[in-house]
Amino acid sequence: MKTRIGQGIAFGLLMMTTAALAQSKPVAGEVAEGSLKDKTLTFVSYGGIYQDGQIAALKEFVDKSGVKLLSDGPTEISKLQAQVESGNVTWDVVDTGDFPPYVYCGKLFQKLDFSKIDTSNIPEGQISECSVPAMNYGVVLMYNTEKYKDNPPKSWKDFFDVEKFPGSRALEGSGDLSGGMVEQALLAAGGSVENMTVADIDKAVEKVKSLGPDTIFWKTGADSQQLAESGEADMIAMWTGRAMTAVKNGAKYTPVWQDWLVVMDQMTIPMGVKDADAAYALINAYVGKSAQETLAKTTSYTPIHKDAKPQVDEITASFMTNTPDKLKLGYHQNIKFWVENFEVANEKWNALMAGN
Amino acid sequence: MAASATGSRDTGPAAAADDRWRWFRGQAFWLVAPALLLLVVCLGLPLAIVTLRSFSEPQWGWQNYVWFFGTPVNLTVLQRTFAISAWVTLVCLIAGYPYAYVMTVVGPKMRLVLILCVLVPFWVSGVVRTLAWVILLQDSGVINSVIRSVGLGPVKLIRTQTGVVIGMAQVLLPFMILPLYSVMKAIDLRLLQAARSLGASPARAFAQVYLPLSLPGVYAGAIIVFILALGFYITPALLGGPRSTMLSTLIQNQVLSLLNWGRGGAMGVVLLIATFVLLALAAPLSRQPHKTGSRR
Repeated sequence: MKTRIGQGIAFGLLMMTTAALAQSKPVAGEVAEGSLKDKTLTFVSYGGIYQDGQIAALKEFVDKSGVKLLSDGPTEISKLQAQVESGNVTWDVVDTGDFPPYVYCGKLFQKLDFSKIDTSNIPEGQISECSVPAMNYGVVLMYNTEKYKDNPPKSWKDFFDVEKFPGSRALEGSGDLSGGMVEQALLAAGGSVENMTVADIDKAVEKVKSLGPDTIFWKTGADSQQLAESGEADMIAMWTGRAMTAVKNGAKYTPVWQDWLVVMDQMTIPMGVKDADAAYALINAYVGKSAQETLAKTTSYTPIHKDAKPQVDEITASFMTNTPDKLKLGYHQNIKFWVENFEVANEKWNALMAGN
Repeated sequence: MAASATGSRDTGPAAAADDRWRWFRGQAFWLVAPALLLLVVCLGLPLAIVTLRSFSEPQWGWQNYVWFFGTPVNLTVLQRTFAISAWVTLVCLIAGYPYAYVMTVVGPKMRLVLILCVLVPFWVSGVVRTLAWVILLQDSGVINSVIRSVGLGPVKLIRTQTGVVIGMAQVLLPFMILPLYSVMKAIDLRLLQAARSLGASPARAFAQVYLPLSLPGVYAGAIIVFILALGFYITPALLGGPRSTMLSTLIQNQVLSLLNWGRGGAMGVVLLIATFVLLALAAPLSRQPHKTGSRR
């Protein structure tokens, strides 16, 4: 009898602990009713349709948790640095570009506690010590179908080969180093990405220069879209979102998915935020299935939840990068190398961008 | 100043008025206090901080300046920044001078139209205007299709320095025209008639009478346009290629992408000092012709 009761108690305790564990283990997209009442969170991103879509994706979280969500932006690492240095951090969750969470991990961004975010549905290789992805998109090779009718380019190697594929080229020159482009140029020059050295950057830069003086370095996404819509450049390395909009607007261009560059924005929590748990709750809600579907529907960016099935039109769907066949062709940049050599790489890239 | 000159006579009540004027001038200082405060807080202080950081980051010393002058791309771009600004100033002057002159001789209604033509683009965002220039200047753009329709080959305009100069000149033209107009409208056109009646040819009357009198406007306009052009960022970024990158783009990259406030600050300080030096060199030039003009 006694042992029975003992067993019963033990069993009960076990059940309770598992229940407690299950409760403390977060589920992506879920937040406890009213848990953040009277609290305020400031979410920072890049503005425009993108941030509107993110806010729309977070609506369920806001309604349920009772949090007051403020929006700020655009994200500027220099501003964040000023906040962290002065000890007055007003940005709670910050959407950044690919590199910053790697470069400033533990300095400007907190090392994340992954017991507070459910990351089980995020595609592989996208989580870092200080960040989870905010969405996915890609850099693809877009070519003019009228120019290259019978002999279309098939890879970045063809992009960097102006002899076999004559015509003008456009690639990103917004000022920030695009590591992926440098790597593709290096591959085209016969180098290896895994064992990259600083000297290889020069090799890649030479390859970019070999495209000739008429190479276009587009400055903004709108810029690249305009190049496609007006047919100014025959091959363009461009973001999938802009490529999609250009095609929707009638540009006669087609993507090449071989070695498309996987790009993402990053969700981060700055050092010294006032309520880190609330920030975690926001990110955990953001990576949920329905939040990601809303995000994809409103922004046309690819969701970072494996099972998300957003309702989008045909062209948009054709530029979603999370299908298995595209994920297979995709390509991640050697972030470790770029972070270690960020400054010298940037300097070399800048010299190229400044016409030297 | 003019008011104080007419008010200063040695009679009794006028002297009292003079005293009152002096008192008022003392008080008038307080009227400019808000503007001064704004300048100190929003310009002087940040400038001091930027200068300080250019010496203090990452360590104390000249390292940022050593880096600046030891990196060829910086010097190329600095030189290019001044060259582009000079071209823009010249283009603005050539386009703005006759325009401002016409503004002084037409009737009031026409003048209003001309002023509106200058000011309306001024009220439109610079980014919008620059993007409009992209449409006009690009290889498949409006200008090139006109050139092609008369049977000439495409002219490379966009992503060249020519394109940048055209775009910047359009943005900065009002800053040339308005100072020119304010000086020109004060020139007594009867002086030209007098010169003609004394036997001067139209060209000579212009060169020896009108031009010297309009020079203060030329200098004022040129200096404003030149200085504003030095700091241009959006237009060269959108209309230019790598060979027309200006210093502001490099500063932006240092500060925003690399978080290197020290280097960015040093670049800003170098640009500022170079500008001061250039203006100091140009200052005697702006006084000389005026004197010879009055002597003749």
